[in-house]
Amino acid sequence: MAATFFGEVVKAPCREEEEEEEEEGRRETPEDREVRQQLARKREVRLLRRQTKTSLEVALLEKYPCSKFIIAIGNNAVAFLSSFVMNSGVWEEVGCAKLWNEWCRTTDTTHLSSTEAFCVFYHLKSNPSVFLCQCSCYVAEDQQYQWLEKVFGSCPRKNMQITILTCRHVTDYKTSESTGSLPSPFLKALKTQNFKDSACCPLLEQPNIVHDLPAAVLSYCQVWKIPAILYLCYTDVMKLDLITVEAFKPILSTRSLKGLVKNIPQSTEILKKLMTTNEIQSNIYT
Amino acid sequence: VDVCTFEKVGIRGTNIVVLGVEKKSVAKLQDERTVRKICALDDHVCMAFAGLTADARVVINRARVECQSHKLTVEDPVTVEYITRFIATLKQKYTQSNGRRPFGISALIVGFDDDGISRLYQTDPSGTYHAWKANAIGRNAKTVREFLEKNYTEDAIASDSEAIKLAIKALLEVVQSGGKNIELAIIRRNQPLKMFSAKEVELYVTEIEKEKEEAEKKKSKKSV
Repeated sequence: MAATFFGEVVKAPCREEEEEEEEEGRRETPEDREVRQQLARKREVRLLRRQTKTSLEVALLEKYPCSKFIIAIGNNAVAFLSSFVMNSGVWEEVGCAKLWNEWCRTTDTTHLSSTEAFCVFYHLKSNPSVFLCQCSCYVAEDQQYQWLEKVFGSCPRKNMQITILTCRHVTDYKTSESTGSLPSPFLKALKTQNFKDSACCPLLEQPNIVHDLPAAVLSYCQVWKIPAILYLCYTDVMKLDLITVEAFKPILSTRSLKGLVKNIPQSTEILKKLMTTNEIQSNIYT
Repeated sequence: VDVCTFEKVGIRGTNIVVLGVEKKSVAKLQDERTVRKICALDDHVCMAFAGLTADARVVINRARVECQSHKLTVEDPVTVEYITRFIATLKQKYTQSNGRRPFGISALIVGFDDDGISRLYQTDPSGTYHAWKANAIGRNAKTVREFLEKNYTEDAIASDSEAIKLAIKALLEVVQSGGKNIELAIIRRNQPLKMFSAKEVELYVTEIEKEKEEAEKKKSKKSV
């Protein structure tokens, strides 16, 4: 209540939320609850064992010991690991992460085909503590925490090294230089405090930031003091592209991938084949 | 507009101008002849473009009309510089008009002027144009340009066949599957545009490969 200049008493607008109104607004109807739970179930990230396709009870890296974990996010990074790393050793699939969000092209959440939203996890047969993840789906913001929990667990080991590879469009790169002169595709790195080795390319400068799942993984590693490095390739072609994939090549000489890459010329041939099988010729460009 | 485009190379020789382009693989049911990348603007000028095909079609049509209009008005064929300037001015207009977007093409324009001198110009979507001795446009243009910088010599362009071979060699640096994916066109002084057939291109490619082998044999002999 307040008095005006003329002596009238008026009800002053109150910024304090009134309890009755609050409860009414927040009271969830059973239908709302049902819808919310359905949506949560739809968007759940499920980690499945390879053979049985049953869910893993514990986090992936709590179940298996891990010394090295390489994560490829995006089709170009996935193609790079497929051609250069996965061809140089015998990798066994240990499981996959199944998830659905609005980016998926199908509305059927239970029968996602293997070409759809999937993150596949492998380990090297000759050294089972070396893990690899090929993630070619988009993991939405609300699903990233779930993904981290299901993969790393709630109390991850610190004696592993994480390497993340991903791509971003060059128009996202902020720089004072003229964008026309940028040598795209080019590589930038971002590492956690505990990562002591040097990167094979310049570090990502401010004010550039990392987005999506790579950012979630890197933040998680920083919080848990796990040494991790992210290699981010800025490219002008977001679809599967030979030149973009080859821009990741400097990483082959780093400690992260040392010993995992054997036959580079053969890998280059495999990469070329991968490109031609995936090429969808468009008539828009000449 | 270097995104998703295939290589185009232009070389200005003493008596010849060469345009080489990377052929993209055509779908099985598509008529190859309708996928043309080298277009004649007039009898003595032709151009190759990289970028949006539809935009190129519009620009080429305007340029062709201008060539004839010029001939009828001034009774002289256009100079290569004139038609390049026309195309560049057109492109620039679209960068400064409301409701329009720039033409998404870069072009290599080659030809001979009345004075008998060969010309090569490159234009880009901003509407700038420059004369070049040899240039490349497309996704891997940097690699090809570096090759040209190393290998463009007065000897290399003195003879017609050497200039043609230089264009093919430059393209082979970046073209994935070799000679069968290269299309070539030349203009000789006072002669109309000539498109090479696949067989003719293959002949040059075989010659280049032979020369390479001989050069390598000589090298290994020397080292022994």
